[in-house]
Amino acid sequence: MEEAVRTGTWSVDGRLATADDAALVIACARQEPGAFQELLSRYRRPAVTLAYQMMGDPEEAEDVAQEAFVRVFQAIPRFRGQAAFSTWLYRIVTNLCLGRRRRKKVTVELDAVREPRAADSPSRTVTEALVTRQALDAMTPGLRAILLLRDQEGLSYTEIAEALRLPLGTVRSRLSKARMSFRQIWKKLSEVGEGLS
Amino acid sequence: MTCRLYEEQLSSYLDGELPAVRAARLEAHLKVCPHCREELDALGGIATRIRAASSQLEVSHDFDRRVLWAVGYWQVKGWQRPVRSYLRPLLLAAMFLLAMLGAIWHFFTRPTGPEWQPQPAAAVVAPAAPGAPAPVAPTRKDR
Repeated sequence: MEEAVRTGTWSVDGRLATADDAALVIACARQEPGAFQELLSRYRRPAVTLAYQMMGDPEEAEDVAQEAFVRVFQAIPRFRGQAAFSTWLYRIVTNLCLGRRRRKKVTVELDAVREPRAADSPSRTVTEALVTRQALDAMTPGLRAILLLRDQEGLSYTEIAEALRLPLGTVRSRLSKARMSFRQIWKKLSEVGEGLS
Repeated sequence: MTCRLYEEQLSSYLDGELPAVRAARLEAHLKVCPHCREELDALGGIATRIRAASSQLEVSHDFDRRVLWAVGYWQVKGWQRPVRSYLRPLLLAAMFLLAMLGAIWHFFTRPTGPEWQPQPAAAVVAPAAPGAPAPVAPTRKDR
């Protein structure tokens, strides 16, 4: 147990491990030990991944995800469960990323895109991942967010509308625009990459 | 309808969000338009590309611990107990109040009066002349 606590990988009560998100949120609001850790263990990776895809920096992504979980923890007693927990969390992550990017006015060059910490990877996979990352970075933050919520996190149109507080029709049209934009940028970057190699 | 207008519907079609009538019209177009078929395949591959781009992302092993510390959880052997967010400022306020009370108590109870005036520095005793008897400390009997 002590080792698990030290490494941050302790397991929680079996009852909590099988509970759905809504039950965990209630348990968390009641301050039941382990409830928040269970939510953390379920959404740690999706939150960090979404932030990474939005920000392009794994360390900053963790900072954003950490801040999002802190906000979740502080606001959970007031969470009324009108949207799914995941939708709420993704909205917080997305808003934090959009805010940070607005402040930083990030312009990311291909060389500047930092790779995720990874073990030995096939170079082609890494190159494709970099091109994808650059294509995402070249998109406007709003279109990037909508694309990631759908194609990275698999949210439904209704959930995206809730997360970004947009009308359903706007989600549909912006997602179409986002995919076309990504497709065009990705195609262009791939052609450049092939020309260089 | 031109390819451009069909292209705008491909995304919704891909997600099963296109109304049936428009979906049927688009499917009829896809049968005869290789360009739109190619676009549809490309759009369908975006999710795979995006997920692959982050598949090797590793979350730091101490991420949970950092979050738990940040929210004020503190470790009690075997379980975690939350420290309510308002407790910390309350604790700080209590400490400040105690410090203030201590200072006030010290101010009002500090010793005052002539007996506590700073004593003049002890007179410097001149060194005894050679051969003179050494000064002897007064005894109880001398008083």
